[in-house]
Amino acid sequence: MLTRDQVEVGAALPELSLDLTPTVVVSTALATMDFTPVHHDVQVARGQGAKDIFLNILTTMGLVERYVTDWAGPEAVIRRIDVKLGVPAYAGDRLSFRGGVTALADGEVTVGVTGRVSLGDHATGTVTLLLPEVRP
Amino acid sequence: MTRLDAAIAGIGATEFSKDSGRSELRLAAEAVLAALDDAGLSPAEVDGLVTFTQDANQEIAVAREVGIGDLSFFSRVDYGGGAACATVAHAAMAVTTGAARAVVCYRAFNERSGRRFGRPDAGLAGQQSSQGMEMSWHVPYGLVTPAAWVAMFARRYLHAYGATSEDLGRVAVAMRRHAATNPAAWFHGRPITLADHQASRWIAEPLRLLDCCQESDGAVALVVTTAGRARDLRRTPAVVTAAAQGSGAGQMMMTSYYRDDMTGLPEMSVVGRQLWETSGLTPADIQTAILYDHFTPFVLTQLEELGFCGRGEAAAYVRDGGIELGGRLPVNPHGGQLGEAYIHGMNGIAEAVRQLRGTAANQVDGVRNVLVTAGTGVPTSGLILSGVSD
Amino acid sequence: MTGEELLDLAAKQAALGELAGAPADDPVNVPMIRHWLAAMGDRNPVYLDRGLAPPAMAQVWTMTAPAPGDRSPVSVMMGALDEAGYTGVVATNCEQTYHRYVRVGELLTPATRFTGLAGPKRTALGEGFFATWVVTWYAGEGEPVAEMLFRVLKFRPPEKRAEPYPLRPSVNRDTAFFWDGVRRGELRVQSCADCGELRHPPGPMCPRCHSANRAHVVARGEGVVYSYVVHHHPPVPGRETPFVVAVVELPEGVRIVGNVVDCPPESVAVGMPVRVAYRPMDDELVLPVWTPGEP
Repeated sequence: MLTRDQVEVGAALPELSLDLTPTVVVSTALATMDFTPVHHDVQVARGQGAKDIFLNILTTMGLVERYVTDWAGPEAVIRRIDVKLGVPAYAGDRLSFRGGVTALADGEVTVGVTGRVSLGDHATGTVTLLLPEVRP
Repeated sequence: MTRLDAAIAGIGATEFSKDSGRSELRLAAEAVLAALDDAGLSPAEVDGLVTFTQDANQEIAVAREVGIGDLSFFSRVDYGGGAACATVAHAAMAVTTGAARAVVCYRAFNERSGRRFGRPDAGLAGQQSSQGMEMSWHVPYGLVTPAAWVAMFARRYLHAYGATSEDLGRVAVAMRRHAATNPAAWFHGRPITLADHQASRWIAEPLRLLDCCQESDGAVALVVTTAGRARDLRRTPAVVTAAAQGSGAGQMMMTSYYRDDMTGLPEMSVVGRQLWETSGLTPADIQTAILYDHFTPFVLTQLEELGFCGRGEAAAYVRDGGIELGGRLPVNPHGGQLGEAYIHGMNGIAEAVRQLRGTAANQVDGVRNVLVTAGTGVPTSGLILSGVSD
Repeated sequence: MTGEELLDLAAKQAALGELAGAPADDPVNVPMIRHWLAAMGDRNPVYLDRGLAPPAMAQVWTMTAPAPGDRSPVSVMMGALDEAGYTGVVATNCEQTYHRYVRVGELLTPATRFTGLAGPKRTALGEGFFATWVVTWYAGEGEPVAEMLFRVLKFRPPEKRAEPYPLRPSVNRDTAFFWDGVRRGELRVQSCADCGELRHPPGPMCPRCHSANRAHVVARGEGVVYSYVVHHHPPVPGRETPFVVAVVELPEGVRIVGNVVDCPPESVAVGMPVRVAYRPMDDELVLPVWTPGEP
């Protein structure tokens, strides 16, 4: 668990790398109530020009959140997640998050996050959060 | 037309095959030398050459190969097989006027092993020329093969006169019967029955496979000189009694579908009218005819256009055996292009010469005058060749 | 719809302001949170310990499929873009703000505001428009708890070019009027502007009066099969055999060659009435064809 005084601008987050197995792609799509076939049906996905099923956006948002809270700990409060979406994250690929603290202001910590897959940047953005002043 | 003073003094050919194994220029050179040898002339005595615009061998190339020196006359005739008799017509005019003394007409191609005319050429309509524009009204619709172009006329002819596919078949059967006893014919020893014809597959309805002539590799050459000089040469001359070219109103290249009537060949009528007028002969004076037979239907049409029978009567004429050996007008005793070979009509002119010499494989008795025609459905030409009167 | 019309429509949708959607089917609940955490591999204990939903789940609570005939501003805009050919879609931005974490038992209601359309713009995917909207989730008595700005690029997918039809006509200044007509669904027959003579195929000079002043009439599009062939062999590039080519006689007094289609070849006959139709052969060439007509 981090506190405000433990972070400084430029601090790097530990990398998080996830195997995007079909199970991950399908189970996260369903857990986010997204039943669009391109996230669970390979034939439909390929029929629409995709090379496989791919992550839905709600999952991308969830994984970005998880990446930051894995680092920041349970007392962090997420205020904002801004993501610019890039290349698709296909089943069979590997999604690797890197991040670093980019700003500390008005009690808020801003973390820059990039999630890369083999095709390039899948998601780039910032997460703004509050950290406790001291350990509760 | 002024009377011509010309005769065919020599004929020569290569073998007719499906794969000559030689270049087209070599075929041309071989046929030209064979014709000169037949006539008893040396290459040095040749001063004129005529061929088809479609021939791939330029006159100068042929001259170089066989050792022909100075040329004072050379010309080419357009419109595919319609050029055949016209090469002789041009040569005859040249020797009559003195433009040349001895002219060789030739046609050489690997039409089976090389570029096949029966195959669609998608680029036909692509040329920025009057012919390309003309083709542009037909080729885009897939009307792109000679068989289909002719089939369009044939359908109307059958419809207008109540003729049938069997009537077309009888032409093919007669040609193959003639070829069967001609050792030089590709289909030597291979006659067909009407049942064979009717069982052959559709190519472009109403034409079946056996309504279409074969595709051949080979070359034919003819030596033309004045009638007087021909008499002094090795062989009995075939005198050019009449020679004519013909194109009709509204003429197109194989697709003259826009004339009032589609059942005739007005361009062949133009040829026939001149041949009869120039020669003073009538159909009754012709003992055998070489009618261009790339496809069966136009054999019927030619019988009508040339006056051997009335309009719409050709099917009955053929049904009665009229065009067979022993019939009223034996047509293509060599087997024609359906039976002997497809050398763009030039092999038929050689056959006419043999009939007049009395040396044909299927010799018709008492041949004094032979009528020969060239390609049909296109601007065309014709000849009346005659034996030498004693 | 043109680009300007799309932008006008977007302005109208934006002017409608925020429109409330249907409340969530279920209140925020532990089973869905547990399921979500398991799928994401998120081991943060705070949510289940304190009865809070992960903030990124905001949208999950109201993920119901739009009802058929949904006329929300976003649906209207997406439909119009589809119809205008911008059928491709890719999300470009998702920006979520959480005013507070929501608690188990709260029922969320979304409200959507279409905020704008930008374009057309050239993008790597093709020409397109960026459409943006904002969803706000309310809890209880209209308390906003989360907001999301969502932006998509609606793009015109690069056209899959049809294989060029190989049997192309040559077109020149004497014949262009015919092919222009075909593209407009008109069968044009050349007429002499001086003596009125009709003529097909056309040419640069009237064979009757030698006038080079050309005009054309639009044929009624009816005809009768004058002759025809059924092509079987050899194969023709760009064509499936058998196919029918006919000489069609028009009541205007000229003949024209074309394919007879939409009927079995064996049903075609000399004298058969036909009507003209127009068939695109590839991305550029349209050919007039003939279909069985009323006798």
